Amino acid sequence: MIVTNAIFRKALNRRTVLRGLGAAIAVPFLDAMTPVFAQSATPGPVRLAWFYVPNGIDMRNWTPAEEGTLEKLPSILAPLEPLKKDVLALSNLTSNWGRPLLVGAGDHGRAAAAYMTGMEVHHTAGADLKLGVSADQIAAAAVGHLTKLPSLEVGLEETRIAGNCDNGYSCSYEYNLAWKTESQPLPPISDPRNLFERLFGSDAAEPAAARARRLAMRQSILDQAIDDTRRLESDLGAADRRKLDEYLTSVREIERQVERSEKDSEQIDPGMEKPFGVPAEFPDYFRLMTDMMLAAFRADITRISTMMIGREGSTRAYPEIGVSDGHHPLTHHGGNLEMLEKVRQINSLHLQLFAEFLAKLKATKEGDSNLLDHSLIVYGGGLSDGNSHQHDQLPVLLAGRGSGFVSPGRHIIYQRETPVANLFATMLERIGVRPEHVGDSTGRLPGLSLS
Amino acid sequence: MSLSMPRRAALLFLVIAATVSAQSIVAHRLNRSEYANTVRDLFGVDFRATDEFPPDDSSQGFDNIGETLTVSPALMEKYVSAAERIASRAVGGDPLPKPVLLNGSGRARRLGPSAIELKEYLDYDADYIVHANLIGHRGDQDKPVTLVISVDGKSVKTATVPVQISAVNRKGGGTQRATVEARVFLAASQHSFRAEFVDDADLQNIPRDQWFNNNVNIHPDNIEITGPYPSVEPRSVARELLLCDAASGPACVDRILSTLARRAYRRPAGKSEVAELLRVFDQAKTSGYTPAQSLQFAITAVLVSPNFLFRIERDPEPGAVARVSDIELASRLSYFLWSSMPDDELLALSESGKLHLPAVLDAQVARMLADPKSAAFAENFTGQWLETRTLDAIRPDPKKFPEWSPELKEAMRTETRMFFESVMRENGPISDFLDGSYTFLNELLAKHYGIAGVTGAEFRRVELTPNEPNGAQRSGVLTQAAVLTVSSYPSRTSVVLRGKFILENILGAPPPPPPPDVPRLNEEAVGVSQSQRQQMEAHRSDPVCASCHSKMDALGFAFENYDAIGRWRSQDGDIPIDSSGGLPDGRTFHGAAGLKDLLKQNMPEFARCLASKLLTYSLGRALNPNKDEDDRAAVRAVAAEAAQNGYKFQAMITAIVHSPSFQQRKGEPK
Repeated sequence: MIVTNAIFRKALNRRTVLRGLGAAIAVPFLDAMTPVFAQSATPGPVRLAWFYVPNGIDMRNWTPAEEGTLEKLPSILAPLEPLKKDVLALSNLTSNWGRPLLVGAGDHGRAAAAYMTGMEVHHTAGADLKLGVSADQIAAAAVGHLTKLPSLEVGLEETRIAGNCDNGYSCSYEYNLAWKTESQPLPPISDPRNLFERLFGSDAAEPAAARARRLAMRQSILDQAIDDTRRLESDLGAADRRKLDEYLTSVREIERQVERSEKDSEQIDPGMEKPFGVPAEFPDYFRLMTDMMLAAFRADITRISTMMIGREGSTRAYPEIGVSDGHHPLTHHGGNLEMLEKVRQINSLHLQLFAEFLAKLKATKEGDSNLLDHSLIVYGGGLSDGNSHQHDQLPVLLAGRGSGFVSPGRHIIYQRETPVANLFATMLERIGVRPEHVGDSTGRLPGLSLS
Repeated sequence: MSLSMPRRAALLFLVIAATVSAQSIVAHRLNRSEYANTVRDLFGVDFRATDEFPPDDSSQGFDNIGETLTVSPALMEKYVSAAERIASRAVGGDPLPKPVLLNGSGRARRLGPSAIELKEYLDYDADYIVHANLIGHRGDQDKPVTLVISVDGKSVKTATVPVQISAVNRKGGGTQRATVEARVFLAASQHSFRAEFVDDADLQNIPRDQWFNNNVNIHPDNIEITGPYPSVEPRSVARELLLCDAASGPACVDRILSTLARRAYRRPAGKSEVAELLRVFDQAKTSGYTPAQSLQFAITAVLVSPNFLFRIERDPEPGAVARVSDIELASRLSYFLWSSMPDDELLALSESGKLHLPAVLDAQVARMLADPKSAAFAENFTGQWLETRTLDAIRPDPKKFPEWSPELKEAMRTETRMFFESVMRENGPISDFLDGSYTFLNELLAKHYGIAGVTGAEFRRVELTPNEPNGAQRSGVLTQAAVLTVSSYPSRTSVVLRGKFILENILGAPPPPPPPDVPRLNEEAVGVSQSQRQQMEAHRSDPVCASCHSKMDALGFAFENYDAIGRWRSQDGDIPIDSSGGLPDGRTFHGAAGLKDLLKQNMPEFARCLASKLLTYSLGRALNPNKDEDDRAAVRAVAAEAAQNGYKFQAMITAIVHSPSFQQRKGEPK
């Protein structure tokens, strides 16, 4: 495999090219990696984000009654009322690989992984993780080099539960949305301070000369880490080498960041104080983390992001809105109306917080427009009815315009079984990435734009 | 050359015919716990990796599975900044910045009328001044109050504070304010600061709605932290490492770095490896850093090297199975029993090639289990085997369980960990996990259990005599509050979750997940119109459900006398508890005690389950006893070995350490 990306190669040349190791790094769809912004007539980069919501949705209160212009919104979508001209509701999309095709039960174990990749989720408790590259990481591989961070992974699961995950599936599938390679997930950051430091750095302010001197040292230390890896590599078996490849790829990514900061000493104003600890109330937690996502988009620290609102099977209770039972158990309501009502309340809370995020994006001016107009943000999940584990007719919203790429304000009903990956492939096209397919995608999603 | 040693050792190995297959174990990245412990043992630096690094993914219930541990760019970035900070803390070569006020006002959390708490992240190992600001005053006759300032639960200052308004303030009509200060040395980390009145008898005479009226009551109003200030504590904590003065010249630096590299890489370091670290030192010095700072950069290079971050073993020839080298065995042992690096004794024994000798190995296992560092094993293993880590994710319904508090949660977790640690250190029989007639309690947890005679926050061993009813209720881990809570829903108990817990973690027979769209319990009705038992029986009338639920529920009912946070009860709402149940084989029992008796009659089954969990944890790889003949054989062998030794816990550990799975490695295709 030849690394064709110009910026990537520059970095590689300056360092030692790692034979054997470098070749094993799986960078998908390399042919499609040429950035298009240079040629593009549209001002300002397009940002892509995926918000993942677990355990399905009370679909009776989600799907708009009519196709076409969004009029009256069902109760879960009601918080979007002021933003109704900025979102598309997309009905009938499917995440086929979430279904029990080969293994049977384990729908929650598969749902998020299948949704983000459109690929088979290899049934393993951990010995041999295998999935595929997620849609956001296809984007990050293509345009990530243009920003400080190729992509940003955020989540709201600040604690992990012990024990096994769903039906013998490794917890890696459940807790991660972004998959950089078929076996390497990128864990979301759920600690506010860590997210802040990832975006804005943890270094104290210092004079330019001192900073340059320190960064030069950091650079040689990373160089040495690469040399160490090279020496180790000669003796290792394939599995060990893959582990070190993951390490090496990450070291190179940090080198790239250091190089960038060597060139660019301008500090970004975060526009907020560094946060400490996870807010006690879920809504505050959601707001804090999405405020930082917004800051990252605004300052062009990254253009690609995922947000795990909750992992599949999340048992979070929401006492803030009077729901003291766990989310997942509630979604297995068996038609019980009281439980369904609580599910609806949780769904509504998530939507309300998502709507707040969109409103903030919209209020953020960029050029002669706003950040929301320059974004394409998916909100959805890999299950529709959580009670019976349905992986089709998924709840999916697409917010923003992608700088004129879509014409929001409508409800589009697709043919049953249209892969949700078709939506992701279409979004990728907007940023100039034209993979043959994204997982099981069969084409582009028609009708997103009216022009 | 660094590789020559393991390579030469590899040649010396007897290559065992591939009939016994030890599955290959992939290069392990240190997980958060291992990283923090290794840094502690290398430098004496208390580094809280759980605050700094993203959580490690887990597989098969454990977060030390090599295959699952990856290095993302976000983690790598953290590794770099952590390495820089740890090196700086170890050597102490960077000047402290000027002291400043670290927190804004209004960030303290009110815990009660006379107690507030502030959480603050400190960047340096240094002195800090904690200012407890008080506001208001009381009546002329009220007694002075005792203010305690504490940091991370430890009292650092006790002061007697008068509560009357001063003449000046009275005259000027001003508000009475007072500040009590405490200067403390604190490590760079997050800390929690508290200011509270203790023995405050007069408060009860003040009406609740006047508590924060400054003319009626005095109360802690705010906590401020200033710093960092130079400390009398030495800046360099890594005294063992700083063998000589780095400023004295290259010979000293070489000595320091050789010593460090050997310990940090957990094997003899090659000359060229040390030379590279010296180059980093020289580069730093040339660019104007002090010798101490230059040393920090070399240490940073050690800490971001794959030689430090990964445990890497050399492969035998592809397909061949061979014993791992003594050097590798030392790390397998130390990360199993200490979640940390081998110490000098282990390293020396392995370098002289003696570690694998059975008698030496046994002596080392005994030594390691007796060492305080094995607390990490107790903590990490119980946290995952008995799922007590899940306590952090649990939010019991505050309306139904107002008693729930962070302190109670920690007490629950501590009990189970200390109990495990006691069985481990004292080499108790593993049947103690089922019904050992003692436990570890503090006052809070003892009250939770209704056990009298335990006062104070300290945990101590409490004998649970069978004659004392509240005591007998708590024998073994299954009826400890931590386990009962993590196997409950936020608002109620679940016989299904509790039964599943037993099947997965005690009997090693996890049930398949339920088919979707099954009828669920009517939550609101539980404890009101119908017992959970009636509901579950209705559920089981469906044969699809019955196949698994007959197993799970019948086990789970044993614990119905314990509510969702593990308190004893005889009623669920209005319905009296019936805790009788049966096993699939027809045997019946009454209550938790009855079930424990039956489980004890089936020791081989429990021993195999525990052996399987311990093997997974010790090897750091997912076992597959259902499909892999060797894994099944390994589990059986360890359980059988334990059986021959009266099911003593340490016999099981020894059996694991001597097992082919633990001592061998299979060559991967290149």
